[in-house]
Amino acid sequence: MPKCIVVLQHFSGLEEAVFRNIRACKELSQTTRTAYGPNGMNKMVINHLEKLFVTNDAATILRELEVQHPAAKMIVMASHMQEQEVGDGTNFVLVFAGALLEMAEELLRMGLSVSEVIEGYEQACKKALEILPDCVCSSAKNLHDVNEAASFIRTAVMSKQYGNEDFFANLIAQACVSIFPESGSFNVDNVRVCKIPGCGVTASSVLHGMVFKKEAEGDVTSVKDAKIAVFSCPFDCMVTETKGTVLINNAKELMNFSKGEEDLMESQVKAIKDAGASVVVTGGKVADMALHYANKYKLMVVRLNSKWDLRRLCKTVGAVALPRITAPTPDEMGHCDNVYVAEVGDTQVVVFKHEKEDGAISTVVIRGSTDNLMDDIERAVDDGVNTFKVLVRDKRLVPGGGATEIELAKQITSYGESCPGLEQYSIKKFADAFEALPRALAENSGVKGNELISKLYAAHHEGNKNTGFDIEGEGPAVKDMLKAGILDPYLVKHWGIRMATNAAVTVLRVDQIIMAKPAGGPKTPKQRGHWDKDGWDEEPDHFDTH
Amino acid sequence: MQPTPVILLKEGTDSSQGIPQLVSNINACQVIAEAVRTTLGPRGMDKLMVDARGKATISNDGATILKLLDVVHPAAKTLVDIARSQDAEVGDGTTSVTLLAAEFLRQLKPFVEESLHPQTIIRAFRTATNLAVSKIKEIAVSVKKDDKQEQRQLLEKCAATALNSKLIAGQKEFFSKMVVDAVMSLDELLSLKMIGIKKVQGGALEDSQLVSGVAFKKTFSYAGFEMQPKRYDNPKIALLNVELELKAEKDNAEVRVKSVEACGGSIQTSVGALTEDVLGLCEVFEEVQVGGERYNFFKGCPKAKTCTIILRGGAEQFTEETERSLHDAIMIVRRAIKNDSIVAGGGAIEMELSKYLRDYSRTIPGKQQLLIGAYAKALEIIPRQLCDNAGFDATNILNKLRAKHAQGGMWYGVDINNEDIADNFAAFVWEPSIVRINALTAASEAACLILSVDETIKNPRSGADAPPGRGRGRGRPHAH
Repeated sequence: MPKCIVVLQHFSGLEEAVFRNIRACKELSQTTRTAYGPNGMNKMVINHLEKLFVTNDAATILRELEVQHPAAKMIVMASHMQEQEVGDGTNFVLVFAGALLEMAEELLRMGLSVSEVIEGYEQACKKALEILPDCVCSSAKNLHDVNEAASFIRTAVMSKQYGNEDFFANLIAQACVSIFPESGSFNVDNVRVCKIPGCGVTASSVLHGMVFKKEAEGDVTSVKDAKIAVFSCPFDCMVTETKGTVLINNAKELMNFSKGEEDLMESQVKAIKDAGASVVVTGGKVADMALHYANKYKLMVVRLNSKWDLRRLCKTVGAVALPRITAPTPDEMGHCDNVYVAEVGDTQVVVFKHEKEDGAISTVVIRGSTDNLMDDIERAVDDGVNTFKVLVRDKRLVPGGGATEIELAKQITSYGESCPGLEQYSIKKFADAFEALPRALAENSGVKGNELISKLYAAHHEGNKNTGFDIEGEGPAVKDMLKAGILDPYLVKHWGIRMATNAAVTVLRVDQIIMAKPAGGPKTPKQRGHWDKDGWDEEPDHFDTH
Repeated sequence: MQPTPVILLKEGTDSSQGIPQLVSNINACQVIAEAVRTTLGPRGMDKLMVDARGKATISNDGATILKLLDVVHPAAKTLVDIARSQDAEVGDGTTSVTLLAAEFLRQLKPFVEESLHPQTIIRAFRTATNLAVSKIKEIAVSVKKDDKQEQRQLLEKCAATALNSKLIAGQKEFFSKMVVDAVMSLDELLSLKMIGIKKVQGGALEDSQLVSGVAFKKTFSYAGFEMQPKRYDNPKIALLNVELELKAEKDNAEVRVKSVEACGGSIQTSVGALTEDVLGLCEVFEEVQVGGERYNFFKGCPKAKTCTIILRGGAEQFTEETERSLHDAIMIVRRAIKNDSIVAGGGAIEMELSKYLRDYSRTIPGKQQLLIGAYAKALEIIPRQLCDNAGFDATNILNKLRAKHAQGGMWYGVDINNEDIADNFAAFVWEPSIVRINALTAASEAACLILSVDETIKNPRSGADAPPGRGRGRGRPHAH
């Protein structure tokens, strides 16, 4: 028998455990609800390192918020899973899960038991996922077409950069399409982002190849039609690992000592040059002596600190990183049409540019007046690229702007009515929870939610399945989303509904909270703040929230 | 058991939201703008700032002032950011950009308080900015690059306009020539690093000089140097970044020298690899007394793509401010070389844009009309502040300007010298159009960013005693 765990806190039952958890989750989703949709507001989040984030990206807000409550953390994790699975729709998960729990509270107060609520929710979720394929209104035909890709990415970008969506959707589409091979596998990591302060967001651009915020080390700053030798080691002569003692007896030996080193260096650099290379990229530092000879032989030297950058560069130029300074074989050298140092704003950048669209990596150069703005655009680009990835996996699209949600709500309500037993109530509430999303869209735009929802229901009952909220119209206007080109990838909604339901059900299942005393170092302070706070900040386990 | 609030976030987390929060953000930005307001224009005043270490700085460069202010308010930081971005992109106009952003927000405050949705405002502002930028592009005058004479004149005018508002406005002709010469001597990349600025105390500003080549303070010379001639014509130069002496203890290997006779030979060893093509050339090398220092000059290098400005002047703060002013002017000239279209300064372009947008706003219905009108009004802050700083009756002058612009006097701006209005294009108050375009975009982006925030959540700062493996929620802030 282990020694008994000292139980500090013990909560059980509906009132103490379930409602408290629900309250915490509701509070969390209230925070992110106002950030939902194109008219969502930004939040300023200052994290514990005093770094400022201005964003309406739910995943970022949550990451920096450091949510403490264990139940609320479940929802946070659900949205992280969504982020990892599809890369977009994180706020959808939060708002929907929050709404589900809110509805659950009503049901529980009505007298339903927790298990009945859970059962109903699970049934309804299954039904929703069955109905969802019927909502599909369009599908991507040719993702190699920039214009078509841009029209799908637009919706995702719109919720981050409303007003600039067309511009960025186009940039992202160009970046994605150019690296999307015929074979059909798409790697999000191949779209890079480089942020350079200055000018305005509309000066952002995309290019095929890579951009590094570095300067060329040597005198050569521009090479056309470059052969690139990549070394993962420092561009330096070999140094012995251990300390050695060299005994020099006379002047001649001393002379030869450093001269030999220099000659060796020269012959190495010369060999690299003779192999045909014109650009040397190194992963480590560049020795003065090596640089001297590189200048002498007119080699451009670029130093990259990040191993990942080096690897990506290898990929985009088709080089093999060599672990030691040797002359590369023609196979091991990469090729790039244009390598040059450019000044953007007052930042020096090294550009590896492919003239044709055949690079394995493309870079979106983001310009903007403040760092926060550029960070936010980076997140928008990220979402856009992820949307593209999701579309590669599944080409189906559903209408956005709340149209899908209302259609689901409508159908699930009628399904619920056909169910006998008490789960009928919870199925109907599940349907009601869907209303939270168009409601959030409306309220964020300063429109009355109820007016919009009744209008939407009316339209959907007439059979207009694609009718959603028209964000640009005056008041609670509705519009055909398919015609307006506001489409969400099918998978985003699919996973969003699943994740949110799972999270909500998990939170509801908890009926007891037991908190052990934190594993004791001697440092644990005796005096506690509020009793409720006890142990919340001691996580039982480490959740890697990043 | 008493009902307890649910604790969602860490203890000590601040959060505020809603319209009051937005208004308070706007107010914070006003405070920032107040700090730099009076530095705008030729009659602007300078600020003396003393930092925590007691170092005094005199400046009227908006970016410098804001940098030194150490702003902590998260929203107000945005203004500091845009000033910095303007500094990075064009180098000048940092005060204007801050002022514009703050004025945009001030004009919008009533709308926000009347709970107009911020997103509506943001859309209107984006439209207005796009209109304004395309208008600038449309009316900007471009100068032919082929005509060297004309280009040079343009550059000098632009540099003079930039210097006009600085401490050294009195010597603007002298310095604008120098700056243009300096920039012209660079290669196409126009790398700023290739212009060195050395400050030597003493002497008058006019004693400053431009060296086409490199100049640096003589730091150290070897025994016997005094015997050497102080001037060489057409020397060959060996550039070593190793010491010109016994090469010892390199890398990790310890070199033990047994024979001291080695000295003679080893000098040759480290310079052993010298060949003709690695030697540099220059016409004159000389050592000259500048103020209290001795300087080494390398002049007339045949491949010279670099130059050095030696600044003279009284107090240290004074020369520092001069350096900043020259930096601004150099940046302006560089921009002007890359983009050869210009507009008239002195508030002329702002008045023209203001008129254009006001006229435009009357053609559209809806809330946008009011908002674009507000944007147009906010633009007038630049000429208004110019007048205020010069002690003129701003309302009077602005009325005159509005009338003139309505009659088609496109380039009429404030005439600082005569307390009147004048055609600033004819008066050669020129600025590269890129400066204004960038200022407008940056200012409206910042205003939009601030408007789009409705909630601030501040996590408690992690204490210094937190374990390094933070981010796992373990480092609880201890109540001190």
